[in-house]
Amino acid sequence: MHFATIKDLDDYRAGLVAGESDIPRIWVCAGPGCLANGSMNIYNAILAYVDEKGLKVDVDLKAEATGCQGFCERGPLVILRLKKGGDEVLYQHVREKDVPEIMERTVLTGELVQRLLYRDPAKKQTISSPDGIPFYSRQRHVVLKNLGRINPLSLDDAILAGGYAGLAKALAMGPEGVVKVVKDSGLRGRGGGGFPTGVKWESAAVVEAPQKFVVVNGDEGDPGAFMDRAVMEGDPHTMLEGLAIGGYAVGATRGIIYVRNEYPLAVEHLRLAIEEAREVGLLGKNILGSGFDFDIEIFRGGGAFVCGESTALMTSIEGRAGVPRVKYIRSTEKGLWDAPAVLNNVETWANIPQIVLKGADWFKSMGTPKSTGTKVFSLVGKVKNSGLVEVPMGTTLRTMIFDIGGGVTNDREFKAVQTGGPSGGCLPASELDRPVDFDQLKAAGSMMGSGGMIVMDDHTCMVNVAQYFVDFLVEESCGKCTPCREGLKAMQTLLHGLTSGKARARDTALLKGIAENVRDTALCGLGKTAANPVLSTMHWFPEEYEEHEKEGFCRAGVCSGLYALEVDPEVCTGCTLCEKVCPVGAASGEKKRPHLIDKKTCITCGSCLDACRFRAIKVVRRSE
Amino acid sequence: MIEVTIDGKKIEVEKGTTALEAAEALGIEIPTLCYHPGLPADGNCRLCQVEVIDRGRKSLAISCMYPIRGPVEIFTDTEDVRRARKFVIQLLIARSPQSPVLQKLAEEYGVDVPDERFVQKGEVDLCIRCGRCVRACAELGNECIDFVSRGWEKEVNTPFNEPSKTCIGCGSCAEVCPTGAIVVTEKDGTRTIWDRTFRLVACDACGTPFATEEQLEAAKPEFEQTDTRVLCPRCRKIAEARTIVLLDGAQGGHV
Repeated sequence: MHFATIKDLDDYRAGLVAGESDIPRIWVCAGPGCLANGSMNIYNAILAYVDEKGLKVDVDLKAEATGCQGFCERGPLVILRLKKGGDEVLYQHVREKDVPEIMERTVLTGELVQRLLYRDPAKKQTISSPDGIPFYSRQRHVVLKNLGRINPLSLDDAILAGGYAGLAKALAMGPEGVVKVVKDSGLRGRGGGGFPTGVKWESAAVVEAPQKFVVVNGDEGDPGAFMDRAVMEGDPHTMLEGLAIGGYAVGATRGIIYVRNEYPLAVEHLRLAIEEAREVGLLGKNILGSGFDFDIEIFRGGGAFVCGESTALMTSIEGRAGVPRVKYIRSTEKGLWDAPAVLNNVETWANIPQIVLKGADWFKSMGTPKSTGTKVFSLVGKVKNSGLVEVPMGTTLRTMIFDIGGGVTNDREFKAVQTGGPSGGCLPASELDRPVDFDQLKAAGSMMGSGGMIVMDDHTCMVNVAQYFVDFLVEESCGKCTPCREGLKAMQTLLHGLTSGKARARDTALLKGIAENVRDTALCGLGKTAANPVLSTMHWFPEEYEEHEKEGFCRAGVCSGLYALEVDPEVCTGCTLCEKVCPVGAASGEKKRPHLIDKKTCITCGSCLDACRFRAIKVVRRSE
Repeated sequence: MIEVTIDGKKIEVEKGTTALEAAEALGIEIPTLCYHPGLPADGNCRLCQVEVIDRGRKSLAISCMYPIRGPVEIFTDTEDVRRARKFVIQLLIARSPQSPVLQKLAEEYGVDVPDERFVQKGEVDLCIRCGRCVRACAELGNECIDFVSRGWEKEVNTPFNEPSKTCIGCGSCAEVCPTGAIVVTEKDGTRTIWDRTFRLVACDACGTPFATEEQLEAAKPEFEQTDTRVLCPRCRKIAEARTIVLLDGAQGGHV
């Protein structure tokens, strides 16, 4: 098979559509979470069952392992569709031993296995279709549209889902036409900066140069973020297609994917997808008879956080230590090996094929006027439904955390949400109705970042959170510029003083001054935003800093030694759990009678605070 | 040519001239540490901050790398500029309190030495990680020192902290170091640098040991020399001056 012209590709796709048979489909999630929970065993058990019963895959039914289906909290996930156009059924928390029952009852006889269905906690009833589950129904899948419904290793699946139709259309539009539609769409860089993609492309397209590059930033390094990983693992062809379109638009013949080596599955899937696309002529010389030559290579990164910074990433590709450079001259002029380079994040590239196919107006119909389209978030932390979420820009934090996310774990009180990774900020409950887009988050002192969203409950100390991120950044700073290298260390010293009760008067003010100066004087994006976790927590939770500094008190009961614990006798049921978890025997009492915590013995580890299901344990000042 | 205004004074410069070069042309002094006119700029120390107003937008920029591309207005001594420079000096002097260069800057900018929690304890560390030595070594084509580790732990060293096999002992690294952090010791006709000891060659004219064997080998010209003696820079100058005078004499007398 080789596609020499656009018509070849269209004909092949038409053949695939016509040949699609009306057989049951099974999609087993093989995203990182489900995979770790043994979803491949489930998939193999399905194949073994089929084999044992003398059924034939692709004739009697089709079973596939897919990319991340999103609802990680309930994994391993299995989605079934009994006939073409029929309703889908989502089974959650599936185990290998459930396979025979799923096959016998659902696949062969069409019954539902009730205990594997999602149970709505509010209405106390089961929901079989993923579209009916609030986690999915409030989302809008553009980037994730193929995830969970195609086999990432199958080019046929990709083509059947419309893959490379965008590239074919782009080749007929001409480079200027492609730049125009991307510019008109209002798409902004999904890596966090939010720079208009079309403007970036245009500035590279107008530069005359013998060699240009298009580059994918797949160095997702924020703690708790897995959006780009899911796309690269679960739908590699869409990103390759976007990259090829970008290459065509700006006049680049080489594409480079920078992906961290800690994502072995992403590396493998991308490698196979590139090989397959090359074999059929969707990459290489004279793509679809257009005269456009383009090929893609993979560069595996060593996992330094700073290599997600665009100039450090390019330095790393050049074979040197990943260190950012001063950016007065843009990469679109002089980027990789001094040649113009357009660098966009995975999600940005994955948006491109559909923008070309469906047009700028379609894209602009989603989101807010200045932040068009959708955004993928990885919703994690103290939230009931952690997972991969894609929503139109402008969706409120409340919708994301409470409607899609199902609220705070154990129904504890919501305290803050951290967006934008280590360079982002924490927003409090009063900001929950803020629509999430680039400008709104920035106005609130946080940032979009690449889309990490960490939910925090009332048992979270905001000074400790700031310390966690500063500790991370001290480790990850490249050390090139003085403010980031030395300033972060000074911030770390002050934060550790605050969380260990060794703070001096005016330390908070000193910390604020240093943080602001680091923001104003550092060299790269990492350094300039490194102060955000401190500045945003200080802005929204000033009382916690004040208590840590002046009283040596941590109201959240996190900073060891800065609080005491008391049992509320009115609430305590005497379940004895606190006694069981206490490592030093400070909690004690008779069964079914209110317990006591001996403050002298207590080492304030917080175990009982976490364990108590009745919230009977209160954090108090040490003197009380 | 582009006309820019620096601290109220106008100057015409070629496109791409840095703010620092333009300021120098006007005789305006800007403090620098990582910048060296003979090396590619790196912009890492962040000391040479200036304020740039470009089409109404005010921002801090580092003058050693900021390229003038349009008719901008530059201020080298505003409150923001002083605040930024003071911050950088404060951070650097906390790490290297013994550095005379930093002490002088701190005095000039009225920077207080921070409280003892921020002051580096232990060994004296004069290095400010500006990498002038690294760039100098790379420019000479040797590349025997580089940054090792990252962040707070970053330091300049030879590969694996072992005496470098490619080092020629030329001492350029120490020559360009703004704080005197690189130690070169010369005694008994030897030079020790980066834990490696080189034998020094004496000047054929005055007898002073002045360069390492490796250094002379690397500097050997590719063309044929008439004067093959090994001369120290001072004697070389004298010898060349004499040649010129003799040639002049020859031209005037005989040709």
